[in-house]
Amino acid sequence: MDEIAAAEEAAKPAQPASYRLKREPFTFTGTTREYFGIWIVNILLTILTLGIYSAWAKVRRQRYFYGNTWLAGANFEYHARPVQILIGRIIVVGFLVAYNIALQFLPLVGGLIGVAFLFLIPFFVSRGLRFNARVTSYRNVRFDFTGKYGGAFLAYLLGGALVYGSAGILAPLASQWMWNYSLGNLKYGGRPIKCEPRLEKLYGQWWLPATILVIGWIVIIVVLVGLAVTFSDTLSALFSFEPDSPQEDYSSEQDMPSPTTILILIYGILIPFFILYAVAGLLYRAGTRNVALKETVIDGRHALDSQIHRGRYAWIAISNLLATLFTLGLLRPWAAIRMAKYMASVTALDATSSLEEYFGGIQQEGAAVGSEYMDVEGFDLGF
Amino acid sequence: MASDPAAGIAGTWRRKDKARGNSAVLRMDRDGVASVTDPESGDSLAAAPAGRVAISDRVGSIPRRIEFADAGTFETPDNDAIDRLFYGAGIHRRGFVHELERFRPRLVLVVVAVVALCFAVYRYALPVLVEVAVAVTPPVVPELMSQSVLASLDGSVFAPSELAAERQSSISRGFDELKALSPRGLDGYTLHFRKGGIIGPNAFALPDGTVVLTDELAEMTDDDEMILGVLGHEIGHVDLDHSLRQLYRAAGVTALIMMIGGDIGSGTEDLLVQGTGLLALSHSRTAEREADRKSVELMYRAGKDPAAIARFFELLRDRLNDTGTSDFFSTHPATPERIEETRRYAEEVMNAPDCCKPE
Repeated sequence: MDEIAAAEEAAKPAQPASYRLKREPFTFTGTTREYFGIWIVNILLTILTLGIYSAWAKVRRQRYFYGNTWLAGANFEYHARPVQILIGRIIVVGFLVAYNIALQFLPLVGGLIGVAFLFLIPFFVSRGLRFNARVTSYRNVRFDFTGKYGGAFLAYLLGGALVYGSAGILAPLASQWMWNYSLGNLKYGGRPIKCEPRLEKLYGQWWLPATILVIGWIVIIVVLVGLAVTFSDTLSALFSFEPDSPQEDYSSEQDMPSPTTILILIYGILIPFFILYAVAGLLYRAGTRNVALKETVIDGRHALDSQIHRGRYAWIAISNLLATLFTLGLLRPWAAIRMAKYMASVTALDATSSLEEYFGGIQQEGAAVGSEYMDVEGFDLGF
Repeated sequence: MASDPAAGIAGTWRRKDKARGNSAVLRMDRDGVASVTDPESGDSLAAAPAGRVAISDRVGSIPRRIEFADAGTFETPDNDAIDRLFYGAGIHRRGFVHELERFRPRLVLVVVAVVALCFAVYRYALPVLVEVAVAVTPPVVPELMSQSVLASLDGSVFAPSELAAERQSSISRGFDELKALSPRGLDGYTLHFRKGGIIGPNAFALPDGTVVLTDELAEMTDDDEMILGVLGHEIGHVDLDHSLRQLYRAAGVTALIMMIGGDIGSGTEDLLVQGTGLLALSHSRTAEREADRKSVELMYRAGKDPAAIARFFELLRDRLNDTGTSDFFSTHPATPERIEETRRYAEEVMNAPDCCKPE
């Protein structure tokens, strides 16, 4: 809260007097105590019903998190019906099962389906975003999403290819497309939301994770080479495999490395890289969210703001994961609430006019409340 | 919050599709008609029989929504008052799930039940589901799968067999004897000879009964019986539907993890999927042991040496110096262990010949 107050003080003098911004912070009022019960019962009933309840579980979870997110004295609400989610899940699970069977036993057909699926991804993304928007309301008015296939193709397929193809150098361009598509196509009560993060700002958030990646690579490789040289005798003993060597006093480990040894070596090399990429990814994601939300304007008059402290965010995410793992999942509710509280506390809306007056003129527009919903798991993109 | 029935429940009223909110009071009269009024003017904003309004389920302490079909929505954070008003009148049922979710000592029982259930599902329910899936799989599925695998191996690593024709036909004759004694019969299995290339000495079975033997393996020994012991092991894999089972098992575990994915977070979900991959290896070891036993039984019933596969493992041990022990990460049990186990079982079969007598 101090951060917000400070930011508010900093922001005020920059504005002309006639253009006074009123800052409305987001707050999250959920508690671990309450959510723990919801969470554990969700899992219990999901297992008892062999997964069918998971759709109901998702609705209760989402209703809890949306319902506890407040802005200017009103909360968000989640309206998806469990049956809609269940149907979406059956489609996705059925598809994945078929795809995996095909890939296992019909590699050629499986590969073709994989390519076809690649081109279906933009469709799933746009429908998933639309579903999420249309089941979300604030003050009794639903959101809507108007993004189409083309935009999703650019933002997710081309953007993704660009990130991999350029080894991350063009990641900010992909982020720009992604935010522009996912947030910039949202509508609230028929009013447009514009999200146009500038590329130079996104690159400003790119330097730190990129530098960490480069330095991390160098350090890991130096350490690995150092270790390999130091223990070269052990290593060469491990991998000298001579089938005709006489069986005298050699123990089996010296003749052939056991699969355990090989796996430990592989994981020992991969885990530092995994941690490196996870940290860089968290820092980048937090930085780009700050940029994107700061450049988001609702209905041409209200601005969003995001003040994530990147180090703090990475720390919360990593310590949450570790806490969850070391308690066999039991601290997961605490971790989820902790993250939601933090994310709400660093997000705010800067209103240029009286919000009460503004919302007085807002009403549901168009056929946002249809029934052809399609929830696609894995495309719940955070906003 | 005031919960005196006469005073009503305080909340916010929003007309249908409108964002504007006005403070309002919800009451219920003796006839069971729920009404919303403006507290200042006393004007009625909406009224309907309590049975006709839609009340949102209680989740934690988020505000409740009471929807009056075409008029609008009344919202209030006073969940208890809503429960008293509607449940007390016997109009709506109390939320069972919410009662269960409340932070009470009995929640400990729920935690214990979840842990026990996770174990039970993995240990008992999943195998049953796998059996059902195997039983309902039409034969055309494994046929298509097998043809495709063989075609892609032929196109990449395999070359036509260079094994002498006499050797091929003597192995095939022995294989026919084994087929005749197996549940799928003479047409149920086909033996293919291939030059293994980078796959080297190997034999494997595909789910439709296709068995592939590489030249490299056949050339390890002149003793056809040892080769037949290996082929008997592959027939065992076919008869026990091992490839289908492993496939369904992996798919089932992944699906179960995905179901609770939203509740455990994506990081934990990824780690779990990786972890179950390791567990699948232990199932693979069990499958190998089962197939070894099938080989022993089949060879005995064919009037051949039931310990032929044990002799083959001994050959492997001596040639490759393979004396390692099996561990958590192995797909196959260790060779010394398999030798001991198959020898023991061969003895058992020979001394108790009733179990699997030649028919």
